[in-house]
Amino acid sequence: MNTGKYIAIISKSIFVVFTLIPVALGFGYAFLYSFGILGILNDGFTLAHWKKVLFTPTLWESLGFSFYIALISLTIAIVFALIIAIYLKQKLQKGFLSIAIYLPLVFPALVMAFFSFLLLSKSGWLSRVSIRLGFINELEQFPNWINDNYGIGIIFTSILLITPFFIILYTNLYHHEKLDNYKELSQSLGASPINTLRKVLIPILLRKSIFTIVLFFIFVMSSYEVPLLLGKQHPQMISVFTVDKLQRFNLLDIPQAYAISCLYGLLVLGTMALFLVKHSKIKLK
Amino acid sequence: MLKKTITFLFFLVVLSSCKKEVKNTIDVTHLNWEEVIVNGSNKTVTLMMWQGDQFINNYVKNYIAPAVKEKYNITLNVVNGQGNVIVQTLLAEIQAGKSNSNLDLLWINGETFYQLRQINALFGPFTAQLPNSLYVDYENPFIGKDFQKPTEGYEMPWGNVQMTLIYDSKKVEKPPKTREEFLTFVKEHPGKFTFDNHFTGLTFLKALLIDIAGGQEVLSGAFNEAKYNQYSKELWDYVKELKPYLWKKGETFPEAVATMHQLFANGELWFTMSNNDAEVDNKISEGLFSEDARAYVPNFGTIQNSHYMGIPKLSSKKEAAMLVANFMISPEAQLKKMDPMVWGDGTVLSMKKLNAGLRAKFKNLPSRKYAPKRTIIQQYALQEIAPEYMIRLAEDFRQNIILN
Repeated sequence: MNTGKYIAIISKSIFVVFTLIPVALGFGYAFLYSFGILGILNDGFTLAHWKKVLFTPTLWESLGFSFYIALISLTIAIVFALIIAIYLKQKLQKGFLSIAIYLPLVFPALVMAFFSFLLLSKSGWLSRVSIRLGFINELEQFPNWINDNYGIGIIFTSILLITPFFIILYTNLYHHEKLDNYKELSQSLGASPINTLRKVLIPILLRKSIFTIVLFFIFVMSSYEVPLLLGKQHPQMISVFTVDKLQRFNLLDIPQAYAISCLYGLLVLGTMALFLVKHSKIKLK
Repeated sequence: MLKKTITFLFFLVVLSSCKKEVKNTIDVTHLNWEEVIVNGSNKTVTLMMWQGDQFINNYVKNYIAPAVKEKYNITLNVVNGQGNVIVQTLLAEIQAGKSNSNLDLLWINGETFYQLRQINALFGPFTAQLPNSLYVDYENPFIGKDFQKPTEGYEMPWGNVQMTLIYDSKKVEKPPKTREEFLTFVKEHPGKFTFDNHFTGLTFLKALLIDIAGGQEVLSGAFNEAKYNQYSKELWDYVKELKPYLWKKGETFPEAVATMHQLFANGELWFTMSNNDAEVDNKISEGLFSEDARAYVPNFGTIQNSHYMGIPKLSSKKEAAMLVANFMISPEAQLKKMDPMVWGDGTVLSMKKLNAGLRAKFKNLPSRKYAPKRTIIQQYALQEIAPEYMIRLAEDFRQNIILN
C-alpha cells in the first residue's frame, strides 16, 4: 500500500470516530429514551411519548415556522449575494469592501442577535432616531420588529449572518468557473445582458452552490440563539421548542424532547437523502 | 469500512454495559465533625451556581473562597449553572453510571430540589452534622420548608429572599396594589407592564393564584388537583383580561427576568420584578437602573422563599463540601452576605439563637435605600406552594395565554 492509501484510511477513520460514531450514538440514545427504554424516570417500552408528540399541533406549527424563516432568509440572502457578486466583484477584490465583507463572519450568532435587538427593538437605536427626526412621537409607535409575529428580527439577523458566506462563495465561483468568458461568449452570440444574467450566470452559480444552499437551509432552520432572543413564545422555531421541552420544569417531558429531536433528525436526513438521489439523477442525465 | 465500524460500535456497547458499579465505602453521614475536617481538608470543591449577578459572584469568589482556603486549604472552584443545568448534569451522570460526580456543591431551591429528590441525586441527611446548623431558623416555615417539602437534611438553608415588584417612580406615581388596581393601571397605561416567561413570572403568577384562592392556607400542603383546576381557571380569566394591555399586547413575554430588567432600564417597560428583594439597590449601584427605581410589594403579597446548598450523592468530596457549607452559614459569613453593599441577601439564622453581640451586629447593618425594610414586607410574605403547582402553571400558561 502506498502512503496515499494510508492517508485515505486514516482520514476516513477520523471522520468515523469523531463524527459518525458520536452522532450515531447520540441519535441511538435519544431514540431509545423516547421509547422509554433508557432513562431513570422511564419504566419500559412505550409509544406514549411519540403519540403525544405527533399529535401536538404546536410541533407542526413550529416546523412550518422554521421552514418559513429559512426559506425567506435564504432567498433574500442569495439574491443579495448574487447581486453583489455579479455587479461588485471588481470592488470586492481589494480595498475596504473586500475586508468589510468578512466582518460579519467574525460575530457569533448570539452577538449578531443582540445587535439586531439594539438596532430594531421599540427602544432601540432606529426607534430613537425616528423620534429625534419626528417620524414618530412615542417609542410605542415604532413598528414591532423584535419578538414579532412574522419573525422579522430573526430573518434580519439570519440574513446578516449568512449573506457574507454566499458573497464569498459566489465571487469565488464566478472566478473559478470563468464566468467572464461565458459572459463574453453569450454576448458575442447576441444575448442581451439580461438574458446572459438569467440564462447563463445565475443558473450556473445556483446549480454549483445547490448543496451549500441546502446545508444553509438546514442551518437556519435549526438555529437556536437567534430565535431564543428575538422570537416569540409562539410560534417557536424547532430548536427552541425542543430545548423548552427538554429543560422546562417537567422532567417527565424529557422523552418527548428526545422524540422531537429524533423526528426532526429523521426529517432532515430524509430530505437530504431524497435530494441526493434526485440530484445525482439529474447529473446522470 | 462499514463492517469495521459496526464491530467497533458493538465493542463500545459491550464495554459500556459491563462497567462495574463503584460505591463510596465510607458512610459520611456517620462521621463526627473532627473526622469531617480531617477528610475534607486540602481538597478542591466544585460549586455549581447561577453566576448572573456580580454582587453574588464577588461575595463567593472574594469572600467565601479565600476563607475556606485559609481555614481548611480547600480550593473552591465555581462553575456556572442553575436549575435545569444542575438537574441535567446529575441526571446524565446517574444515567451514565458514573461513580464520581463532577460537582460537589450545588446552589438550589424549590423546583430543582424537588427534581433532584425525584431522581435521588442528593446526598443526605447531612445538615445536622454541621456545627453552625444550630443557629439556623428551621422553625421558620419560610426556611425549614422548601416549596412545602421538608428539607429533611438534604439541603442546607443559605439565604432568604422575598419577591418584589420594581417600578419607575418618575413615571408611576401610585403603583397598583391589588388585582383590580393592576387591571385599571394597565388599561390606562397599555404596554408598560408584563412578567417574564420563566421563574420570576411564574412566582408572580403563584402570588396571584394564592390571592384568588383566598389566602395562603387554601393551597398549603400537597398538590391538590381539584383546587388547582378551580382557582387556575379564575387566574387565566384574569390574565386574559390583562393580556391586551400588557407589553406587546401579551402576544409574547420576555424570555427571562434579565430581558425584563433590560426593557425596564431603557424605558420600554415601567415595571420589572425580582425574586430578590435586595436586587433593586444592587442594580442601581451597578448603574443599570436609574435612581428612580423603587421596589414594593402589593397588598396581595409576594412569595418569600429560601435558597439552599445541596451535595450530590455521587460527589467524592462530600466532607469538603460540608466544610464549605458550614462556613457559609456561620454568623460571620451570613452577616457579610446581608450587607446591602455586599449582596443584601436575608439571613437564615435565628436571631434568638445568636448571642447578644452578634444579634446587635445584624441589627446594625446599614439598611437599603430603594426597597422597603424586610420587617415591613414580611407581613405580605406568602409561602411557596407545592412544586407541582408551578409545573402546571408553566404548562397551562403556555396553553391558555401564549397559544391563545
